[in-house]
Amino acid sequence: MLNIFFGDMEDVIFNTSVYFKNVYHDEWITAPLSVEMIAEVDKSKVIDGGVIDSPVLGKIPPTSLSGGVKTLMLIENRPDKVFNATNCGNNCAKWLLKIAEKKDVTINLRYMMDFGKGNFNIKVLNDDRVVHCMEELVAAAIQYV
Amino acid sequence: MKGSFHIIVQNERIKYEFVLRRNLTIIRGDSATGKTTLVDMIREYKSLGEGSGVELFCEKQCIVVEGNGWEKQLSDVGQSVVFVDEGNRFVSSVEFARFIQETDNYYVLVTREGLSALPYSVEEIYGIRSSGKYGGLKPLYHEMYQLYPDAANTSELKPKKIITEDSNAGYQFFANICNEIGIECVSAAGKSNICSELLKCKDENIVVIADGAAFGPEIEKVLKVIGQRKQVVLYLPESFEWLIIESGVLNDKEIKAMSEKWENYIESSQYFSWERFFTDLLIKKSSGGYLEYNKKNLNKAYLATAVKHKILKQVEWWKEA
Repeated sequence: MLNIFFGDMEDVIFNTSVYFKNVYHDEWITAPLSVEMIAEVDKSKVIDGGVIDSPVLGKIPPTSLSGGVKTLMLIENRPDKVFNATNCGNNCAKWLLKIAEKKDVTINLRYMMDFGKGNFNIKVLNDDRVVHCMEELVAAAIQYV
Repeated sequence: MKGSFHIIVQNERIKYEFVLRRNLTIIRGDSATGKTTLVDMIREYKSLGEGSGVELFCEKQCIVVEGNGWEKQLSDVGQSVVFVDEGNRFVSSVEFARFIQETDNYYVLVTREGLSALPYSVEEIYGIRSSGKYGGLKPLYHEMYQLYPDAANTSELKPKKIITEDSNAGYQFFANICNEIGIECVSAAGKSNICSELLKCKDENIVVIADGAAFGPEIEKVLKVIGQRKQVVLYLPESFEWLIIESGVLNDKEIKAMSEKWENYIESSQYFSWERFFTDLLIKKSSGGYLEYNKKNLNKAYLATAVKHKILKQVEWWKEA
């Protein structure tokens, strides 16, 4: 399940780009889920663990991927940490839900991300409420962001 | 600092072009649109100049501020455009808001956070998009676009209830005219209470009136609360005082000239938000006359039929009410 703490949170990795630069492994980049996320969010193609082909920037290292994709990979690969997912735009929402299908994931959000029109299971950690659609999520969490 | 500034940042692959009109500009939007790349290019130009391979055109110095030493970095900076990328926790702090209020820089902040301590305009929240204006071997052209264009757009909604951010003169004005036509008018007593007021009302035709000049921190939340409800309309003039000024009731030639380009007259170190400027201007221009303005208690002269109608003439949704 996706667990979200909305608003200011202690002990969260806030600058996910810097953290990613210092901890990522090449295998993270070539994992099938990462390849899909990089293709959809960054419109870029993974060549190998150290090189990604971006239509705008050319051949780039993983550190030059978008802040959103880097945060998604951290969430997928370091479930022991809580990351500031505010660096993820709305186009990362479906990937957060997908990562959370397989395991319990906890993130910090400081804005009201749009998780779309479908149903989902999200636990709002501020008051331990489980919500199932955007209308419920907005009602539960708007006061915290 | 006052005025508008045209900025071009480019290298062989990417070109950004945009205009800043106010002291606070917010950039947000989807991931992978080029926000961080823009800040990186500015940082590289500032550090290495033309030797960076980046070209930057702006009549003011552009710098990037980041990390724990932000206060020191800003202490010697004036008359500059300051960029802050996402991932900098200080941006949402009260200390940062207090500090920059007393500076004469313009700030461009890359963040999805609401930043409740900063009074930025709904008109100065942008996303970045690649326009494809240049193809082939030329750099890919990126421009900024308003994320909430016409957030205050008009509609054919016939309101049954008005919610105002204001609890003073603005509220008194709209409460009076709502009373005349028999609809409810409620003051939310502050922009941060509008979401909770909206959550209380379901299935009602509502117009929310707030000061667009400083409503930026709330706009995304309010739009999320509104969701798909077609019976809620946002009306976001710069401020109630701006509405009076723009109506022409003061019949002042200087105001007419200023209104062509307000940004050329509003000094950012004096006015953190434009709404304060409009309040001061209205008080100054109306002083000693029959329309003398008092923000706490609305001068009854503003409720005289001719004056009232002139102010309301600009309010599209009112024609439906």
